[in-house]
Amino acid sequence: MYLKTLELRHFRNYTAQGVEFTAPKTILLGDNAQGKSNLLESVELLATLKSHRTSRDRDLVQEDETSGSISATVQRDLATLDLSLILRSGGRRTAIRSGEKLRRQMDFLGALNAVQFSSLDLDLVRGGPGERRTWLDTLLMQLEPVYAHILGQYHQALKQRNALLRQNEAQTAPTDRAQLALWDAQLAALGTRVMRRRSRGLARLAPIAQDWHHAISGHTETLTLHYAPNVPLEDDDPTIIQAAFLDKIQQRAIAELHQHTSLVGPHRDDIEFTINDTPARQYGSQGQQRTLVLALKLAELNLIESVIGEPPLLLLDDVLAELDLNRQNQLLDAIQDRFQTLITTTHLGSFDAQWLDASQILTVKAGQLLSGFTHA
Amino acid sequence: MSGDFLPFTPVAGYRKRLLIEWKFCVRRLPPIYARPLARLIEELQKLPGVGPKTAQRLALHLLKRPDSEVQALAQALVDAKSQIGYCSICFHLSAEPVCDICRSPSRDAQTICVVADSRDVIALEKTREYKGKYHVLGGLISPMDGIGPEQLSIGQLVHRVNKDKIQEVIIAISPTIEGDTTTLYVGQLLKPFTRVTRIAFGLPMGGDLEYADEVTLARALEGRRELD
Repeated sequence: MYLKTLELRHFRNYTAQGVEFTAPKTILLGDNAQGKSNLLESVELLATLKSHRTSRDRDLVQEDETSGSISATVQRDLATLDLSLILRSGGRRTAIRSGEKLRRQMDFLGALNAVQFSSLDLDLVRGGPGERRTWLDTLLMQLEPVYAHILGQYHQALKQRNALLRQNEAQTAPTDRAQLALWDAQLAALGTRVMRRRSRGLARLAPIAQDWHHAISGHTETLTLHYAPNVPLEDDDPTIIQAAFLDKIQQRAIAELHQHTSLVGPHRDDIEFTINDTPARQYGSQGQQRTLVLALKLAELNLIESVIGEPPLLLLDDVLAELDLNRQNQLLDAIQDRFQTLITTTHLGSFDAQWLDASQILTVKAGQLLSGFTHA
Repeated sequence: MSGDFLPFTPVAGYRKRLLIEWKFCVRRLPPIYARPLARLIEELQKLPGVGPKTAQRLALHLLKRPDSEVQALAQALVDAKSQIGYCSICFHLSAEPVCDICRSPSRDAQTICVVADSRDVIALEKTREYKGKYHVLGGLISPMDGIGPEQLSIGQLVHRVNKDKIQEVIIAISPTIEGDTTTLYVGQLLKPFTRVTRIAFGLPMGGDLEYADEVTLARALEGRRELD
């Protein structure tokens, strides 16, 4: 797929800005805080309806404005799609796909696919389990849009159950046992669906990531991705998982009553990365962790391509400079011209000359894009 | 404290606030509406789906109508509020202690359709297909909103099922998380006493299969049935 044009209105620090992408690679050049990452964020929003930087639309709309919008034309194999997303500082979003206002925003997912690789991703290994869950969830939503709905339902049930546990704070009478059992059942049923999809998605990604990792590390290291669910997942049978889920809730019942929050479920899952059988989190060097994240991202690109049938976009946010030359080359080799890539950088020094010639270079300055660049 | 002696404390944002207050004053100084009209618009705005513009249109329209018509509307409002209550059997809106549906002898007294709200009864009645009776729960279980089974008319439903020897309870509740949970709860309670069914979910009539979303389609697949 190819992102042909992008138009931002009252989005972050952009008042009104249109861009036409003329080459498979676009380099967004500019100093810090000029709006480079904002532009990538807008593409991320179109692809996932989420931003890794904020969860409030108020932050996305330009200051003192009530609404902003992102519009794009995407060239797919079979058709050209017009996408637009209207964001409101105090209201719901509107998603429009080829002129049709979508009743459910889930239908918007899948029109544009993108893999985001920012310097924040470098913390994926060392960061908390929440970041790894978000990473996997974002990938799954692109692979199977239904997952967004399932995850949303799970979180709704979780919120309701937590609300009930908090109510019990005042009255510790067992009158609400029956009601709690009800939410246990819902949580287990929905949680099982989340877990199975996570496990399945990770199983598809793992071998590709392993291959990439093997190649980048010079065939010395073996990467294993291991799904570490909060509820044991020994069998892929939903009824067995649900039973295990309810079992574990039983075990943690007293703790839950004291902490007034749900302690069992996929909202406490983790994903373990091991290199040559040692956990990367504790033992991996800075370089090893970078190799790992790079392998994950390349695997994401391949997996999305194989599922969607079209190469997704790659968004490189300030990350190229953080990789050494060897890894940079690995990445650029893998991308070639197949994956449309948007790259943000503060300087062009670390780029290969041949590469620069083939790229479209845009200078970003205070929410404005200028074609080309001037040598300093 | 030294700050107490200052005429004002220059806190962050005070200039913006002054500006807002100033704007507010300017807008409020010349009254746009005569007081009774302003009050009417204010009251109309409290209605669901009515914003300031619609409220103004409705108010101006009412002022143009003859006295008798406005009087009739006012009376209708007061009468409806004072005369309509809940049916003591099914909790549907009713002017009598027992509603028309519950009193009707032609209705199947052994089937109860359980719904969340009176609006759902009206929607189902419009189909003219259902000949049984109803039971309105008055909401859905939602701990976030402080609604548990005790706040709903579930106890009365169980009592009714036992007392009237009900053959079938049809649950017609929206397939949301809260709806599903309520369905589960009601189902568990009633299963020992009677047959409990749930309305099917799937494709809308005249709808195109290809335009249906995945979730609806998946649900429609789950609820498939033998061709007869």
